[in-house]
Amino acid sequence: MEILRRWLAIAVLVALGQGVTPAQAQTSPSKENRIKAAFLFNFAAFVEWPANSLPAANAPIVIGVLGEDPFGSFLDDVVHGEKVNGRALEVRRFREVSEATNCQILFISDSESGKLTDILAALKGHSALTVGDADDFADRGGMIQFATKDKIHLRINLEAAKQAGLTVSSKLLRVAEIVKGGKP
Amino acid sequence: MQTTWRCAVLSLLLLVPRAFADDITESAADIKKLSVEELMNVEVTSVSKRPEKLSDTASAIQVITAEDIRRSGATRLPEALRLASNLEVEQVNSRQWAISARGLDTTTANELLVVIDGRSVYTPRVAGVFWDVQDTLMEDIDRIEVISGPGAALWGADAVNGVINITTKSAKETQGFLLEGGGGSELHGFGGMRYGGTLASNVYFRVYGKAFERDRTELALGGDATNDWYSGQGGFRVDWEPTEQNILTFQGDTYSGRFEQSGTNGAIDATGANLLGRWTHTIAADSDFALQVYFDRTFRDTPGTLAEALDTYDVDFQHRFPVGDRNDVIWGAGYRLYDDSIRNTPVQAYYPPDTARQLFSGFAQDEIALLKDRLTLTLGTKLEHNDYSGFEVQPSGRLAWKLTERQMIWGAVSRAVRTPAENDREFYSPGVPPFKQVGGTNFDSEKLIAYELGYRIQPTPRLALAIATFFDDYSDIRSVEEANPPAAAPKTVGNGQQGYSFGAELTGDYRITDGWRVRAGYTEIQTHLRPKPGSTDFSDGANEMHDPNHQFSLRTSVDLPWHFELDPEFRYISRISNQDVPSYCEMDVRLGWVPSSHLEISVVGQNLLHDHHAEYGLLSTRQEIQRGVFGKVVWRF
Repeated sequence: MEILRRWLAIAVLVALGQGVTPAQAQTSPSKENRIKAAFLFNFAAFVEWPANSLPAANAPIVIGVLGEDPFGSFLDDVVHGEKVNGRALEVRRFREVSEATNCQILFISDSESGKLTDILAALKGHSALTVGDADDFADRGGMIQFATKDKIHLRINLEAAKQAGLTVSSKLLRVAEIVKGGKP
Repeated sequence: MQTTWRCAVLSLLLLVPRAFADDITESAADIKKLSVEELMNVEVTSVSKRPEKLSDTASAIQVITAEDIRRSGATRLPEALRLASNLEVEQVNSRQWAISARGLDTTTANELLVVIDGRSVYTPRVAGVFWDVQDTLMEDIDRIEVISGPGAALWGADAVNGVINITTKSAKETQGFLLEGGGGSELHGFGGMRYGGTLASNVYFRVYGKAFERDRTELALGGDATNDWYSGQGGFRVDWEPTEQNILTFQGDTYSGRFEQSGTNGAIDATGANLLGRWTHTIAADSDFALQVYFDRTFRDTPGTLAEALDTYDVDFQHRFPVGDRNDVIWGAGYRLYDDSIRNTPVQAYYPPDTARQLFSGFAQDEIALLKDRLTLTLGTKLEHNDYSGFEVQPSGRLAWKLTERQMIWGAVSRAVRTPAENDREFYSPGVPPFKQVGGTNFDSEKLIAYELGYRIQPTPRLALAIATFFDDYSDIRSVEEANPPAAAPKTVGNGQQGYSFGAELTGDYRITDGWRVRAGYTEIQTHLRPKPGSTDFSDGANEMHDPNHQFSLRTSVDLPWHFELDPEFRYISRISNQDVPSYCEMDVRLGWVPSSHLEISVVGQNLLHDHHAEYGLLSTRQEIQRGVFGKVVWRF
């Protein structure tokens, strides 16, 4: 493996000369992430939470981002001024899943995919709609997975959503791939 | 995320109105107005390449997806290409195929360009493709784009009647283990494996290997054609995304095959290897460049006939940028070196046997939004220089008019050429004097002016219909002339034929329910070649085209209860008149069981309607394809 890695590095240098520049800070999220942000906003209107999981009638719907935030302020801009069923929307960022149990929608960043099983276990009994983009997110018990290939497709683990007491609108299910056999 | 750079070129070839969503996603205020359906329709593959929605492309394009291939049970590329109804695909024998678009179909189909992950797999000696050595793990194919009609403005010479662009998945999309195996009556046995992992953060790789053994076909006049064969192939791909603006890809394959042949000469050996590197860099949302380098070595020894070792070195660069609001410009340059070495035999020969030939090419194209989101004009040209015919100019103009969000009319006029090959200029038969046929030292490019008109409509989200019509005006088509008339021999190769062809390609795609999809395709081609004044070739194109006039296909995919899948495919191909191959109907059926994303078990029946049938070839050498059934297991973990 080490040899392959070195070979790769040499080949890259040969191919590029000195042209490789380090990563530049991203000022705005990629198009892919902008679309995902818009999806997160849309989900609020397509999911019904159990009545007891939403606090006061005027409390906002919380969209949480767990781990590295790929959206920057773009997600805040998208939900800004919007209301769903009379409730405002609010974005919060979390570093640990223990902080994130009170959101209605939780985007689990790719940076957390190594801990995904633990995270999903910790969310058991809460009614957060889990959303992620890890390759096997829905298969591992996440509820909505962004699968990107030219376009962003949705893979929905309906059983996982049902177990959390969530009702996903048929309008959303119609355009998504339903993943079966997941073990939440 | 990953797109090959040829795919990028392809997307630009398909001139399209600037997708409105490209701009709208920039702003948070605008993006949230999009519906879920609209969000799902936004292309997010590398911004700059802007792969267009299929329904927007101003060209006769069909796309075969990974899922289409899986559901078809195809075990090799030509079988998968049957899924594109705008192609003519005829199986000649156990390993040879005649594949073409818009006519002029021969076993090497010298008017069609085939590209696998940015690498041309065209053999310049015969100006065609050896399908028996073009392979990859079928599960790793991401998509196959098939354009019928000239693609020369961007793809260059030899994309006269079409382009087949095969793209494999990125290493990122093929992580984990895949094991597959199976066997049956015609496809005796096969096995494959792939493993994908990471080398470092943002560096993904995969390695794969596969092997198979296939049965011989039958001679139409009785008896076995001794042409059973086996082949093995392996390869790797590494994708590194050091930053969001840069993608680096390295990939390579190597193969070895052994094909039995009748007689006492012994089996054919074919081996090959290739290595490719590609760097794509995004400058801005609407601007990027790509640099690609590859090396490809093929060797084929046909004892008693010929042996050839061919090395290809290729460098390509392309750059895209906007000019003002309305112009989207792309230009590129390329260099290719063919180093070809042939071992002659008394049966046939090439003089000189060792050649090195250079190909210089450049192209430029401007996509002009005449009316924003409605009317787009694309003007482009390719300029090439080859060692045989010198400079070649191949311009095209395409106009796309989007009547509504769901309807589009497009039209195009293009010029394309098929440049001379060693087969035209340097081929001698037999390999020693007295010759019956000698190369035409003055053979020039074959030329085509193509006129196309197409219409696409999507009356409902579940139903898509398209028609593409064409009129092709050919001149200087290859002919076999008497070199010293009235002496019958030797004959020589000239440009003594001309003619035209016309036809239409109709497709329909109806998703009746989420689990039931029906697709149909009908293609009609009428080709007429005749000798030019002074020509002594009165074959009327009998050596240059072996085309059925009509073909029809009907496929359906049904999801059954308990994770079963049923996929029947029916096709009717009319007779090939100048070879007197009868028309035929055939059917393939796949029954699959996919209990989880880890396991797939399927049984596939191919050519089920007849014990054996012929698809191509004169009766004296014609071979017949037998009914075949095989089972297959795929395991992913």
